[in-house]
Amino acid sequence: MQIVEKKVIIELSHITKQFDDEIVVNDLNLKIYENEFITLLGPSGCGKTTTLRMIGGFEKANSGKIIINGKIINDLPPYARPINTVFQRYALFPHLNVYENVAFGLKNRNDIYLKNFFQIDPTFEKKIYVDIIKRKIDEAVVEALKLVKLTGFEQRKITQISGGQAQRVALARAIVNRPQILLLDEPLAALDLKLRQNMQYELKEMQKKLGITFIFVTHDQEEAMTMSDRIVVMKDGIIQQMGTPKHIYNEPVNRYVANFIGESNIIPGVYLRKDLVSFMGVNFDCTGYTFGNNEPVDVVIRPEDFDVVELSEAKLIGKVTSSIFKGVHNELTLDAEGVELFVNTYENYEVGEPIGLKVDPYEIHLMKVQTDE
Amino acid sequence: MTDYPIATLAEYGYKDYRFFRKLYKIFSVFAVMLIVLMLYISIIVLAIQSVNSSVSVTSFGTFTLKWYAEMFNVRSLANAIKNTIIVSLVATALATVLGTLIAVGIYSYAKKTRQKIMLLNNIPLLNADIVTGVSLMLVFSLLLPIFPYIFGPATLIMAHLFFTLPYVILSVLPKLKETDPNLMDAALDLGVKPYKALIKIIVPAIMAGIFSGMLLAFTMSVDDFVISYFTTGNGFDNLSIWVYGSIGRRSLTPSVYAFSTLLTLMTLAIMMVYQFLMKRGKKHA
Amino acid sequence: MNKEFKLLAKPYIAWLFVLAILPIFVMLLLSFMFSEGLSFGESYFTFDQFALLGEDSTLTAFSNSILYASLTAIISLVLGYFVAYNVYKSKFKNKFIVLTIFILPMWSNLLLRTEALGNLMEHNNIITDLLLQMGIGISIGIKGTPLAVIIGLVFTYLPFMILPIYTALEKIDYSLEEAALDLGLTNMQKFWKVIFPLSLKGVATGSIMVFLPSMSGFAIPEILGAGNILLIGNVIEQSFRNMDYNFGALLSIFILLFIMGALYIVSKVDKEGETLL
Repeated sequence: MQIVEKKVIIELSHITKQFDDEIVVNDLNLKIYENEFITLLGPSGCGKTTTLRMIGGFEKANSGKIIINGKIINDLPPYARPINTVFQRYALFPHLNVYENVAFGLKNRNDIYLKNFFQIDPTFEKKIYVDIIKRKIDEAVVEALKLVKLTGFEQRKITQISGGQAQRVALARAIVNRPQILLLDEPLAALDLKLRQNMQYELKEMQKKLGITFIFVTHDQEEAMTMSDRIVVMKDGIIQQMGTPKHIYNEPVNRYVANFIGESNIIPGVYLRKDLVSFMGVNFDCTGYTFGNNEPVDVVIRPEDFDVVELSEAKLIGKVTSSIFKGVHNELTLDAEGVELFVNTYENYEVGEPIGLKVDPYEIHLMKVQTDE
Repeated sequence: MTDYPIATLAEYGYKDYRFFRKLYKIFSVFAVMLIVLMLYISIIVLAIQSVNSSVSVTSFGTFTLKWYAEMFNVRSLANAIKNTIIVSLVATALATVLGTLIAVGIYSYAKKTRQKIMLLNNIPLLNADIVTGVSLMLVFSLLLPIFPYIFGPATLIMAHLFFTLPYVILSVLPKLKETDPNLMDAALDLGVKPYKALIKIIVPAIMAGIFSGMLLAFTMSVDDFVISYFTTGNGFDNLSIWVYGSIGRRSLTPSVYAFSTLLTLMTLAIMMVYQFLMKRGKKHA
Repeated sequence: MNKEFKLLAKPYIAWLFVLAILPIFVMLLLSFMFSEGLSFGESYFTFDQFALLGEDSTLTAFSNSILYASLTAIISLVLGYFVAYNVYKSKFKNKFIVLTIFILPMWSNLLLRTEALGNLMEHNNIITDLLLQMGIGISIGIKGTPLAVIIGLVFTYLPFMILPIYTALEKIDYSLEEAALDLGLTNMQKFWKVIFPLSLKGVATGSIMVFLPSMSGFAIPEILGAGNILLIGNVIEQSFRNMDYNFGALLSIFILLFIMGALYIVSKVDKEGETLL
């Protein structure tokens, strides 16, 4: 079977950034591939936005190298990088209308660049190519606005559009320049829920259609899971885990990631021997892990992975202490001999009711116990 | 570890102007300093004159502080200074209090009406001193039949109030806009009457605006010449009018330079103290 | 705020009408009359003063005023924008102090400053004397020339240009500059296409704050022009001094027209007067 080699488009090598006394990005190493939708995920202050800004050229790394297309671009100003950014609060120019905003990048490039950009025959005379360029820019702007579903908004003033529309204008303004890489700095943060969900879907579609690399920054893990090919979970300037959404969800590598992504139960246990783990006084079959015999481990079980069974068949029994109706399911909190467990069920259970639980070996995830959390 | 080449601006189609930019930066620093010097040269001359033992404006005798000591010996100058201080203090005080209240009043109006009122408010600000001076003089003159001795401190203070109020209003209004719109409602909700709430809650919140308005008003008032020229009477001179007269009579005494230098230094000191207090305030907040 | 407080502003509006609007009508009236000062005993309607308008001296004064004011405004704009922009871009922790440096000269009495400047423009003055004592000999003698007046006007009113421009620059969202760079503009392009257009509010206000007093003042032209330069302000002052209220009023009306123009511009550009301070 042939594995498709993915080409690295940006590499961050040992990047460190310090503000005054605080190290915000700590020896970061990251390879980003062509045509992927990658998300930097983490809480405020974890260094994700700073990393993004360093890629864009708005901050300078204290040490390390940023390599694009095989060249070190640390000292290259933002205007020279083949990158465009969608800013968090859109940064639309208030003195220009929608059309002018979107056309801004192209209109300010020099002729040589534009001739190259639109692949105009270099032998044409100035009179001819100037006209062609004008036409081509206009076409590109109209096309970009069509892509973000804002056809007809060309003459609107920036003060006359809504938040969602402004967000699309910002997007159009960036992609019309056909960058190799698009940076998105929490662009959906200011939108309300329904709009945000729509935009998540649209952004994903757009990325696939345009075929350019999207680097997305957010603190919303659901957003990251919905849109990304890969997620990079960060904390305190260090990458905690990198991988596909499924992989991170199923195999979190430490407590932080496990807690950050989705809900989880983290229970201390002991890995007795191959495929057998013990926690809460009960032995469970597990699979797919290799730890030392009798090594302490953290057991991660997602609330939806617990199966509710008859008390007689249960491996664990707990008493319901709270039940919240969430539409799709119920979120139960159980007290199982002093340990608090979270379980999601489709059926309703009364507070005070004892419930029997079982869990599949495939759904028991184990993590190395970390001493410094 | 592969060694990558460093990207250059040229390959992306841009020219590297780093050298020129450094040059420009150095040039800018010098240029700005030069401009600052320009602005201060007259003050520097005044300061030098104030310690000049010779009365002549063309030669420097020896360094002396006698003019500072003699400041209040020249009767007319002493009077002018006293008048200036009285008028400016009274006008500033009135302008600050009234201006703040008026600003609150203006803020209570809807945006469109507010803008119309502010347009009216701009007239004293933008109006040429001479037109304001003449206008006020005309209006006060109309009152002469009723108040024959109106020209004097009364008209002067009214005139100063006229052109300082807009400055206070202009300083306070933005601060009002910055306050939480719910502040007033919160006070009312807790049972506080509107005017009391105004004084206890709103005023502290806009203190910075009131203070800077007050400062601005004082500055404009102390330095005023043209408007005062037209609206005073009965020999009630302020400092500027005295200076103007003395320049004309060529009887300028260095003591006035001393006074001016002193005033400048004092205002500078006040600003520094204010700055210092602000910083302390911020640290504790 | 509370609707009750509207009451606080009402007396002020009345005050403004009486002291700012009413005089305009009085002046209009006076322009069309002959009167002895304000005593209307022996007055009659006449267009005499309009004839005076056409006189050479008046017209020269007018054109000079506009010329000088325009030159002052332009020079102040270039210098002022330069300074404001540099302060804006600088990394000073406390811009307030820096701005205070530019306002400080305004606290010295205008006449004294102008007088001192005038002395500097003579051949022999205190500075040349000091320099002589130190062994350096230079002298400039420009008092009484148009250059002197313009220099005096610029030196005096430059701070009025710096502050509004600085205020307008500070209001520009920094992310707009980053966006411009991101889209491929160099620093120079960014300035002309983004920063400058967004600072026009301050440029307009600053220009007005320099143009108006330059055009209508009389102290600076009188002291630095040594009586050679007559601007419209001087003519007005003379008229009123000579009790020719009628002509003075007429000229004042003309200046008012300029001020109305300025008010109109400000109302279009800076509705809430943010940059007027």
